[in-house]
Amino acid sequence: MNDNPEMVSRPVREASSERGKALANLIFNAALAALFVGLFIQAGDLPSSVWEPLGAGSFPRLILGTLVIFNLAIMVQSMTALRVTDSVASVGAKQWFLQRRLAFATLAAFSVYALLMPWIGFAMASLLFLLAVQFILGARRGRRLLIAAIIAVVFGLGLHMLFSHVFLISLPPGRLW
Amino acid sequence: MPMTDALLSSVEQLFSLATLVSMMIGVVAGVVAAAIPGFTITMAIVLTLPVTFTMPPLQGVATMLAVYVGGGSGGLISAALLGIPGTPSAVATTFDAYPMARKGEPGRALALGIWASFFGALISAVVLIVAAPPLAMIAVKLGPWEYFSLILFAVTVVASLVGKSILKGLMMSLLGLFIATVGQDPMMGVPRFTFGVDVLAAGIPFLVVLIGIFAVSQLASEVENPAELHQGKALVSGKIQFRPFAVMREVLSRPGNLLRSSMLGVVIGAVPGAGGSIANLIAYDQAKRASKTPERFGTGIADGVVASESGNSATAGGGLIPMIALGIPGSAVDAVLMAALMVQGVSVGPRLIMDNADLVYGMFLAMFLAAAMVLAFCLISMRWFLRITEIPKSIIVPVVLVCCAVGALALNNRVTDLYLLIGVGLVGYLLAKLDYPLAPLVLGVILGPIAETNLRRALMADEHWTLFLTRPISAGLLILAVLSVAFTVRRILRQRAAARASI
Repeated sequence: MNDNPEMVSRPVREASSERGKALANLIFNAALAALFVGLFIQAGDLPSSVWEPLGAGSFPRLILGTLVIFNLAIMVQSMTALRVTDSVASVGAKQWFLQRRLAFATLAAFSVYALLMPWIGFAMASLLFLLAVQFILGARRGRRLLIAAIIAVVFGLGLHMLFSHVFLISLPPGRLW
Repeated sequence: MPMTDALLSSVEQLFSLATLVSMMIGVVAGVVAAAIPGFTITMAIVLTLPVTFTMPPLQGVATMLAVYVGGGSGGLISAALLGIPGTPSAVATTFDAYPMARKGEPGRALALGIWASFFGALISAVVLIVAAPPLAMIAVKLGPWEYFSLILFAVTVVASLVGKSILKGLMMSLLGLFIATVGQDPMMGVPRFTFGVDVLAAGIPFLVVLIGIFAVSQLASEVENPAELHQGKALVSGKIQFRPFAVMREVLSRPGNLLRSSMLGVVIGAVPGAGGSIANLIAYDQAKRASKTPERFGTGIADGVVASESGNSATAGGGLIPMIALGIPGSAVDAVLMAALMVQGVSVGPRLIMDNADLVYGMFLAMFLAAAMVLAFCLISMRWFLRITEIPKSIIVPVVLVCCAVGALALNNRVTDLYLLIGVGLVGYLLAKLDYPLAPLVLGVILGPIAETNLRRALMADEHWTLFLTRPISAGLLILAVLSVAFTVRRILRQRAAARASI
């Protein structure tokens, strides 16, 4: 077994995340089951109708009730998986997130983009976002950074022109100017 | 509207300059998108949807069909020249097209695929035209009991076909059905699960869920591995020679294979949840079984390319059959097409052919037209588009994410939809990492209101729920639903036992 998880080949890495997956499934389904039970109770307050036997709340309650049964079944399955898998070979949650840091960084950049857009407008926000993500994904210096900058300007402004002027989709102009 | 009037009206709408131009752009976009590894056809269609809002209904749907049909052929480029399927629909294409390209015949491999795709799409369009109207005539006669059971059947088939675990598949379908209940109740108009939030009053916007699930979460998976990011893949080198007419004769000299693969594609496309990604493999496998020289499959023979490409392209028409005749989409792509019609105010269901005959005939014709456009475009300009596969993901991913943002903003111009998009994208990414299939969720969201309305109508007409079991068609569909789950459970248990035995 290799100590450095970055060096471990992809199939081994995937296999060794089984335990983490089982644990995550267990927690995720427990949380969902709790949420669905809460919604199930809330759906009981929805009005019924004199015209039909079911009313507004019955269908959601049917779905939510069945969902809870599935959550419990997946939880049982995950607990079995948890017992079978080897805890030593597993990657920890921290390692799992680190291995996927670029994906999470991209999603984080996308969130910042959405937060900035109402203020600085679609065109400017897109330009900065395109530059930032290409930088995150490795366009750090020299020719590649130059290409990234050109792409940011061309697509940031170009997509704005295309969608707002050709396809007539109204995009946020920005509150700051 | 009489049939000839409807047909003439659809021809008039379809052959307007604006529609032809937007369809041509759609074809190019579909081919290009599917040629880029990591960019799926579904992603391309989801992102096309917002730009069709301002178009008339037929132009909008025709443009999306053009992207769909174009995408069917685009996956071929990277499959033949890189040995990597550009889309999951082109997996079997790599088996023979890539060896053929490596043997020094990349032009022949591409042209074979293009012609096979064209004939596959053509055959499926013919089947669609023949099968959809009579099926709709039957469907109109179905009561709410049969409809509800049909949806239950569709949901269980989808859940059993995709993903590794049927429990997770069914859970995702149910989650989709639940998401659809947020917002106004379809019969009484009562707000449900809105928690006083204005944005939720009209329900969770379907388009945002689609873009989040099929584009944002998928793009996040694409950038996981740093080593794959920077370098695009180099193609087979050397000059590519097309001999379109010689190759056309080569394809047509295999009528049995072409017809069998296309029909398989149509049937598989019509089954909810199964689509091009399954059809190409089954068509290839069947062609190999029927062949007199099965041992030559995989070495770069024309039969393999023809089977896979005609099989996956034929699913386009097949998937439209249940959507047009029953109002039940056969795949995620058809769900997006259905959403496009619904946004335009067209109600989709068995009455679609009767109420909007011109639109439906227009869709049939658009399939033919798109297939012809793809053929012309690919044969004329393929050689200039070959370098597309070399664009690195570090450029594709952020540019497509910006398009996703535009898509989310297009419907209501609300920044809150953008926040919702990020939420859905993140949840979708984590769900995919935990092996939850996402297609059942999307079909659940679109089928939710139809299921609920029919269930409630059925019980309004007669309070006895036993009617679901005593009406023959309804009972038959429910038995099929149970069987589809039972067979999947049996298959999974057998696979597990085999895996244990091999350790």
